[in-house]
Amino acid sequence: MIQEQDNIVEVVGVSKQFPGVLALKDVSLEFRRGEVHAVIGENGAGKSTLMHILAGDLQPSQGELRIDGKPVRLRSALDSRAAGIVVVYQELALCPTMSVAENIMMSTLAADSAVSLVPRARMRKEARAALARLGMGGLDPDTKVSRLSIAEKQLVEIAGAVRQNARVLVLDEPNSALSVRESERLFDVVRQLRSEGVTVIYVSHHLKEVLAIADRVSVMRDGRKIETLDNQDLSEARLIRGMVGRDLGTARPYALDAPPPTETLALSVRHLSAAGLEDISFDVQAGEILGIGGLPDSGKDGLGEALFGLVERSGEVLVEGKPLSAHNPMAAIRSGMSFVPADRRGASGLLAMSVSDNVVSASLPRFSMAGVLRRGAIRREARAQVARLDARISHLSQKLGTLSGGNQQKIILGRSLVTNPRVLILHEPTRGIDVGAKAEIYSILRGIAAEGVAVVMISSEIPELIMNTSRVLVMRGGRISGDLSGTGINEETILARAMTS
Amino acid sequence: MAETVRTGARAPGIDRLGFARLLRAREAGVFIALLVLCLFLSFATDGFLTSLNLLNVGRQISLLGIMAVGMTFVLISGEVDLSVGSNYALSGLASGMAIIAGFGLIPALALGLAVGAAIGLINGLLSTYGRLPSLIATLGMLSMVRGTALIVTNGQPVTVNLRNGALPDVLAAFTKMGQGYLFGTIPMQLVFFVVVAAIAWFILSYTNFGFRIFAVGGSAKAARVSGISVNTVKIWAFVLMGLLAALAGILGLAFLPSSQAGRTGLGLELDVIAATIVGGASLSGGEGTILGTILGVLIIGVMRNGLVLMGVSPFVQELMIGLVIIIAVGIDKWTSRKAG
Repeated sequence: MIQEQDNIVEVVGVSKQFPGVLALKDVSLEFRRGEVHAVIGENGAGKSTLMHILAGDLQPSQGELRIDGKPVRLRSALDSRAAGIVVVYQELALCPTMSVAENIMMSTLAADSAVSLVPRARMRKEARAALARLGMGGLDPDTKVSRLSIAEKQLVEIAGAVRQNARVLVLDEPNSALSVRESERLFDVVRQLRSEGVTVIYVSHHLKEVLAIADRVSVMRDGRKIETLDNQDLSEARLIRGMVGRDLGTARPYALDAPPPTETLALSVRHLSAAGLEDISFDVQAGEILGIGGLPDSGKDGLGEALFGLVERSGEVLVEGKPLSAHNPMAAIRSGMSFVPADRRGASGLLAMSVSDNVVSASLPRFSMAGVLRRGAIRREARAQVARLDARISHLSQKLGTLSGGNQQKIILGRSLVTNPRVLILHEPTRGIDVGAKAEIYSILRGIAAEGVAVVMISSEIPELIMNTSRVLVMRGGRISGDLSGTGINEETILARAMTS
Repeated sequence: MAETVRTGARAPGIDRLGFARLLRAREAGVFIALLVLCLFLSFATDGFLTSLNLLNVGRQISLLGIMAVGMTFVLISGEVDLSVGSNYALSGLASGMAIIAGFGLIPALALGLAVGAAIGLINGLLSTYGRLPSLIATLGMLSMVRGTALIVTNGQPVTVNLRNGALPDVLAAFTKMGQGYLFGTIPMQLVFFVVVAAIAWFILSYTNFGFRIFAVGGSAKAARVSGISVNTVKIWAFVLMGLLAALAGILGLAFLPSSQAGRTGLGLELDVIAATIVGGASLSGGEGTILGTILGVLIIGVMRNGLVLMGVSPFVQELMIGLVIIIAVGIDKWTSRKAG
């Protein structure tokens, strides 16, 4: 009985089914009153689904949540807040046009009558008190939120949560945008809240920080909770073992079967720096598939854009020995580089246009004469690419947006191939694609490499890197922290290089 | 860091008076532009700086101003209302036809205001629960309301006078609303505008509802998780807009007692939005002030008046007004981008 009272939130046998994916499988977890409880796991382990359930954004397909031992249904963020749970996401729920005080006091004012007056003086005073409680007495409550740093915004959101008497505070990847000093300040706040009896659920990739702050750590993998550990004599290696598991990571690395790289240098990167990237240098041979791995804030997600010239950069990028001019994607395409961004819906696919228009959209000069499109040539090329990539479409004028994710990605790959690239850069090439189509895309990429194209695959999915690349660069803090090949390419080593310094 | 140093270097005495803050306020640019414009006109023309002319400007901008105040609410809440010109016509006609039909003043005014509020309510419902972008919803309403006005009047002009059936004392009171003067000098329309603006300023600055409008427009997500009903707030903003468009329409008919459904208030929505935007309200929501809107309305009003006094052709006037809109909003965007 006493045991039960110690738990403020219990997750009991929760499963969450999405179309085609079982994101959570029978997860049971207890969060104790006044503890800092870290939840860790790889991408897709189910952490964020679980947090969305706690936040009231998602409802479990099976199982239940209990608060103070009583089953509850959280149907909205409002329900969840009423139950004392506040989730602070990376993308903050603050109103940038309003002041710090107005944001901190927003839910208090929302509870008042709409025809009442706003108690400005009291608001400022209470906001100042809430800030002071978190050691931020120096922040002027009249400052506009849009003028604050990310760390300050985060603390303002926490201050608002604390003022609503949050009993459970969920911090989702709180450190990813913070400097070391800001992280220290956040830790002080977390410790302060713990001493006041608040439960802090800390979702993070940063094992060192997890070990520094957490009382207990729950490890998730493939939608299951693997274990909950007391933070005594825990090491980063121990946590990584939990995240990787013994049964997984057995897939045979492609590196062991990959053809030996040719001696032709296709892509050279020398001292590349850009926003979130520092002094990156590497080479890729023609015919090689190079993997780039790392955590979400490691800088890997900005690498593709920087190489392709979509963002300002310094340093040199050479395709077959010829330097590319910076910040000029058109020149990159002409020099033989092609890029497939991660965001298929937003950035790379012309969803409202037809399959054939998408296929030729990166090579229009070749398919037009005096500014007039050569429809026949376009259809021939599109038909050829569709056949080559085995894309399942009903007809060439079908809109891209009506295809499945896998077929969309094939068409976008086709568009890259039409440009006859020497270097093909892909960012999260199989995100949101079902297993069958993933396998097909992998084999297409191997085929492309076998034809002598240098393929760079930037991916958050470690198994994908292991099974498809002949060499893996791991990034951390904007730099390359590991260059793995052969048997060195395994989940444990990749995670270790990505997470520990 | 640089920011702190800069403000720290300012003389503290000046800051205490709030001058520095006043200059940094969003309205400062518009205010200075207005000042420059007035100074220029004072020297360039004989007639500008006379109390008669200034009161005349005040009357001319009042109807636009009343509607712009309503538009300020809608824009801050993150929406837009294109139907206000049509609303202006239909609501005025509703009151006018009621007076001709022998209604008393209060019932006739109530009818016009109710029509305006109902249009606002429909706009609000379509833009929230109807999940249409307000640009589309109110564009549709622009036509529907104008169409309704044409149908009920059969396209014929409606003139409010004794011959058509208005009761003498009702007509006298109605006419006084539009053409009368307070203390014999201040046009009644201007009085209405000042009262409306004062109430609106109070609501936006001091009431919980005003706070909610800013919150909803600044970040609907933040407002929602704080427990604010985003839809309710937006619907109320549209209803207020509808009421104020109706008030302006009624006053317009009271000033010039003849209205034609096909012409009255045609294209007025663009002037209203322009004045509000010039005053610093943001089309993306969350920003705007009544003071700014008043300044925006004044700029457009003074500009029109000054160009007439200088004998500039009405064609050139249109061109100049457009230029002012682009420059006024442009200055704000170009400078705010640098400030981050």
